[in-house]
Amino acid sequence: MMDVDEEVDVKPKINESDDWTTPGNYHGKSLTDEIKTVEDKWQLLPAFLKTRGLVKQHIDSFNHFVDVELKNIIKANEKVTSDVDPKFYLKYTDIHVGTPERQDADSVDKSITPHEARLRDMTYSAPIRISVEYTRGKQIVRRRGIPIGRLPVMLRSNKCVLTGKDQETLARYRECPLDPGGYFVVKGTEKVILVQEQLSKNRMIIETDSKKNVQASVTSSTHERKSKSYVATKNGKIYLRHNSIADDVPIVVALKAMGVTSDREILQLVAGHEDDLKEVFYINIEEALKLGIHTEMQALEWIGARSKSARKTAGPAHQKRPVWEDAIETLASIVLAHVPVDNLNFRPKAIYVAVMVRRVLAAMVDEKMLDDRDYVGNKRLELAGQLLSLLFEDLFKKFNHDLKLNIDKVLKKPNRTTEFDAYTQLLYGGDHITSGFVRAISTGNWSLKRFKMERAGVTHVLSRLSYISALGMMTRISSQFEKTRKVSGPRALQPSQWGMLCPSDTPEGEACGLVKNLALMTHITTDVEEEPITNICYMLGVEDVALLTGTELYRRDTYIVSLNGNLIGVTRLPTRFVATFRKLRRSGYINEFVSVYINHHHNSVNISSDGGRICRPMIIVENGFSRVTTEHIKALKEGKVDFDAFLTQGLVEYLDVNEENDAYIAINENEMTMASTHLEIEPFTLLGACAGLIPYPHHNQSPRNTYQCAMGKQAIGAIAYNQLNRIDTLLYLMVYPQQPMVKTKTIELIGYDKLPAGQNAMVAVMSYSGYDIEDALILNKASLDRGFGRCQVMRKYSTMIRKYPNGTHDRLADAPVGLDGIIPKKYQALESDGIAGAGERVDTNDVIVNKQSPSNALDNSINPGQADTSTTYKNAPMSYKSPVPGYVDQVLITDTESEQTLVKALLRQTRRPELGDKFSSRHGQKGVCGLIVPQADMPFNDRGITPDVIMNPHGFPSRMTVGKMIELLSGKAGVIRGTLEYGTAFGGSKVDDMSQVLIENGYSYAGKETMTSGITGECHTFYTYLGPIYYQKLKHMVLDKMHARARGPRAVLTRQPTEGRSRDGGLRLGEMERDALLGYGAAHLVRERLMLSSDLFHVDVCNDCGTMGYNGFCPMCKSQKNISNIQIPYAAKLLFQELLAMNIYPKISLEDSV
Amino acid sequence: MRVRVRNLEAERINFVLENVDLPLANALRRILIADLPTMAIDIVNIQENSSVLVDEFIAHRLGMVPLISTACDRLINYNRDCVCLDHCPKCSVELDLNIKCTTNETILVTSNHLQLRSQEAQDTSGNFIDPPIGLSDDFGLPINYHLQDVHPITICKLRQGQELRINCVAKKGINKEHAKWGPTSAVGFEYDPYNKFKHTSYWYEQDEKAEWPLSANATEETPPDEGGNLPLDAEPRNFYFDVEATGALEPKDMLLMAFAELQNKLAGIVLALDQPAQQDGDMNNANLVEGMDNVDGGAGASGAQAVDDWGVSTSQGFDWQ
Repeated sequence: MMDVDEEVDVKPKINESDDWTTPGNYHGKSLTDEIKTVEDKWQLLPAFLKTRGLVKQHIDSFNHFVDVELKNIIKANEKVTSDVDPKFYLKYTDIHVGTPERQDADSVDKSITPHEARLRDMTYSAPIRISVEYTRGKQIVRRRGIPIGRLPVMLRSNKCVLTGKDQETLARYRECPLDPGGYFVVKGTEKVILVQEQLSKNRMIIETDSKKNVQASVTSSTHERKSKSYVATKNGKIYLRHNSIADDVPIVVALKAMGVTSDREILQLVAGHEDDLKEVFYINIEEALKLGIHTEMQALEWIGARSKSARKTAGPAHQKRPVWEDAIETLASIVLAHVPVDNLNFRPKAIYVAVMVRRVLAAMVDEKMLDDRDYVGNKRLELAGQLLSLLFEDLFKKFNHDLKLNIDKVLKKPNRTTEFDAYTQLLYGGDHITSGFVRAISTGNWSLKRFKMERAGVTHVLSRLSYISALGMMTRISSQFEKTRKVSGPRALQPSQWGMLCPSDTPEGEACGLVKNLALMTHITTDVEEEPITNICYMLGVEDVALLTGTELYRRDTYIVSLNGNLIGVTRLPTRFVATFRKLRRSGYINEFVSVYINHHHNSVNISSDGGRICRPMIIVENGFSRVTTEHIKALKEGKVDFDAFLTQGLVEYLDVNEENDAYIAINENEMTMASTHLEIEPFTLLGACAGLIPYPHHNQSPRNTYQCAMGKQAIGAIAYNQLNRIDTLLYLMVYPQQPMVKTKTIELIGYDKLPAGQNAMVAVMSYSGYDIEDALILNKASLDRGFGRCQVMRKYSTMIRKYPNGTHDRLADAPVGLDGIIPKKYQALESDGIAGAGERVDTNDVIVNKQSPSNALDNSINPGQADTSTTYKNAPMSYKSPVPGYVDQVLITDTESEQTLVKALLRQTRRPELGDKFSSRHGQKGVCGLIVPQADMPFNDRGITPDVIMNPHGFPSRMTVGKMIELLSGKAGVIRGTLEYGTAFGGSKVDDMSQVLIENGYSYAGKETMTSGITGECHTFYTYLGPIYYQKLKHMVLDKMHARARGPRAVLTRQPTEGRSRDGGLRLGEMERDALLGYGAAHLVRERLMLSSDLFHVDVCNDCGTMGYNGFCPMCKSQKNISNIQIPYAAKLLFQELLAMNIYPKISLEDSV
Repeated sequence: MRVRVRNLEAERINFVLENVDLPLANALRRILIADLPTMAIDIVNIQENSSVLVDEFIAHRLGMVPLISTACDRLINYNRDCVCLDHCPKCSVELDLNIKCTTNETILVTSNHLQLRSQEAQDTSGNFIDPPIGLSDDFGLPINYHLQDVHPITICKLRQGQELRINCVAKKGINKEHAKWGPTSAVGFEYDPYNKFKHTSYWYEQDEKAEWPLSANATEETPPDEGGNLPLDAEPRNFYFDVEATGALEPKDMLLMAFAELQNKLAGIVLALDQPAQQDGDMNNANLVEGMDNVDGGAGASGAQAVDDWGVSTSQGFDWQ
């Protein structure tokens, strides 16, 4: 009923002239229409995440690589032949990746779990097996399952042992069911291949260069080649530009070379019937005339004379090729490589070039025709699968090359004892492929010589600081743009990223706007085969483009149909074509991730089936009604259908950014009209996983949400169900994590309520003492006693018990006994095996692993075997480094893949919050603890409730985090009522309702209370905003930062104090401090700080020659006369010596002695 | 001064403190929170802990278990003041937690699994120390020990094969040191429900009365007259307490102990005031604070005497001004 009432109210206001009184007349709706709400349509979201998962993009991409692309690569490189024996061939017939296996030589059970790989510093990888067919003498031999290398397996991909396992099995594998997977375990570390953002491949982009010249560029990408071609303007003339052609080719010359020789035809192909375009183009025809190029052959000669790369292929063995053949080669396979040239039929490529020219001309005439390269629809995301496939192809080519060399080497021998079997050579391959993968993933350097690609920082260590940080990393997208460039375009928030990329989650500082995060309900496509789509297009009445002339191509009612950037034809009924195409897609005849849209500016219909497009599901709306009805949702809730059923039934479909532009999407049901084509599943999915934690984000100032996205990743909490089985370098765990009182739907969907990072603190917003200025917090001592903010810090101490090539090896020794028969304090934690026992307390510098190394470990003159008795050992203990005692949590002794013994000890500290520890709410409001107050001194309300945290109200006005205030209100109502409240974006519990709850329970509706001072017992004259707010403890703790030094280590070179806390460094008196002291006139203080307390050096200076001597003697003058001992900084002495070393003679003359 | 108990439950006492002034009432409140001694587990010796929770975690949880501490203010010494070598029945209680899960069903380890252990201890001269006389039988046991219908306090869970062998020493202490020694969980404290004294000002949008609901204590007082003003020197005299106890101390005992402690503290001040500023010459103008410092050390011993003195002066209506 409510909705009907509203409509009556609203309609006249919107459009009074509309005749809304007659039924069925307001935007096609009438009062008697049924209300079009779909109850709980957000239920589609958990269903989506259930079938797709949060990191499905990574996993899909990896699966696609393993299942499809590997086979394609094999097919593209299937034959190895020999230069020696023409009859020999080896052909790859199949490839597949097995299940992950352990490498230990003597293992019976080969299966391995990811957790074992993590603990034992191994690589979680599976063998790549190939089937081959080759000649052995006169026979043809077929073999199957030959391992050629090992591929690191992505966790939860279809090759991973964890896939499809229930919670119990996962627990047995020591794996967390909430862990999303999508990363690799390489040498024991978890590595993520970040999503890379790039400009689309094989698409034209029309833009202006720095001199405002219009140019069209295409990055062609095929399996063989990657190159960039331009159609650029220079002085109003248009040229084809490519790296393999030395000069810019006038466009008419280029077209003539491609077989379009008639000027009239060129003009038609380029400008169609638009006179303004023709006018701009004429000059280019004149240019060709001036060059005297009229025929195809002339044009080819011209280009051939300037082409670079083709020359190289003409080796000495070949006859010198005519120049024009070079040109054909260049044009056919290098320039615009993605446009196929079959049997030297240049027509499609000529038309492609013509269309590029036409778009350039249009942009020259009208600036609006320029493309926006920051538009998300022009971007493609490159995932793990694509990167691995590039790497594998490179490694495989190298493998084949080596194989061929080896085979040739054997075949070259004239007389062989046994018949040559290529199988042995195949096994010889070594671990080139394995090590290639491991090296690339563990260092993050993707260097592919084939494409001259050298990319660093592709992989990152998965951050396990908190569950959210790990999750946030899996959805992260890094851009290829340089961070230093001062351009705002790529960093700006793009309207087209709505629903695809999170508007809040981006780092601050240099990477701001370049590193992005996926929104909650996105999917990244993988490649879909083109050929069936082309066929369908032709069946739907598309006319082949090669059969058309310019006038036909550019008729006003003609739309060019292109598939993945390649022109395939034209249609005169674009709307009908697209509608039919979509109908076919919705009924499952075409892959659901193929997108189609009409671009009315370019008169074109674009179909995309390539990988890397971001898309998201939406409910289909027909005739103003959502196709998903309450019944569908009911069936979903009952578990009768899943998300895929919605797809196959055509209730829901995926739209990519470009197709979104073709859609009219209603955010809510009440906004649907007859024109609507789609309905959002839930508006809050436009935020990502990190921003989804924030309650009421739509009430906050936007940068605050961004700050929280960064801080949520630093919050200490539970990281995974297997957190106590993990041995990480550094692990922060909270002792009593709580799920937030005010949660969001996102929190439930991503499982943050199961692995939370924070506690619900009772917060009083008031001023207390002076220790709360600058965002400092006051904490209640009793709360800390009871466990608020308490956390555990686990640190790994690991060492290898090495075996050396000379036969010696490290050993573990038990604790030494002092002369008095007592074990020194340092060694008391050790057990008889020389490793500290689990549960033992260790203090600073106590020994954890008492390792001893042979003193002659690197001496290779000793033979293995004879080395045992004579070797002496020196102590190489691993000792505890922390100012606060810790406890040994667990100890692991194991073997690595390289057969070395590995000892890992996990040390644990339990910390209660102290002054200076950092806390933050979920609204980008961080602060350090400024004071810890006894409970009796805390203010309290009439029920005797004392706050856990007191926050200064000055934090609010400038930050404008209204969401935090509403969180408090909802939290308070929830506490009173015993419910968890929701603060979901664009929804959640309403302030009115929350106030009502407060009133019903005798509280002020505004959440304010009168409190009494704990110190005086007097009632405060003000009222206090009091209620629970979810507080996160951040990883920055005073204990890890405290540092002071009086004397300590010095750098060897300069003898100045070392730098940094980790090296017990000095505290620098910097330039600005020096300036202040000089300005004040404290010369002696400057002298003391910069020399006496730093690198004081006494040196003998000869007053005659001005050089430095020693022992009162000047080696220059060979005399002891006139020597003075002075004090200078050691750095100055060093400078003088370095100057001397480069033949500069610095002379020291002393004022007093002159 | 009068105490009118309105409601007394096992773990709660609601009373009105009448005819006192605000600082004194607040002092009582603060003592209820911070200064009443109770017993709590302070030292945890872990012989075996194969549970999932780490040692410190369990130790912390054990410390937070309230132990029955009836009369511990009179009968039990502070460990630091005791004559024994380490700890003895006069200053501590020992508890054991020995439990192993042998079935495949998870065991919930609770405060009910804690067991009192008789301890033997010697003083410095080698004599065995007997437990203090007059201790109740349940002294030192966790609250609600094996009571039906009351859920005991969870300490941790054990699955098959996991074991806890823990020996705990509970000592006497006060909340100031650690919250585990606090006998109260919240002390409600209110005066002047009608805001007659205008100690606070209510912010409201339309109607103060509608927007700021009256507290339940308003029934105890007469509503202010319309426009009636109070005398300028009027002060709050009635205070409404609602004390929620942890169960370590009986609410009634707690209140009596709090008064005794209050007297004790005030006696310390009186003693300091009575003693003329003596000793060092430069302390001629010894003020109150320094005077307090002088008696601080001896407060425990001389306090008992002072209480009696003080008791007399209360009845005479000692006026602090």
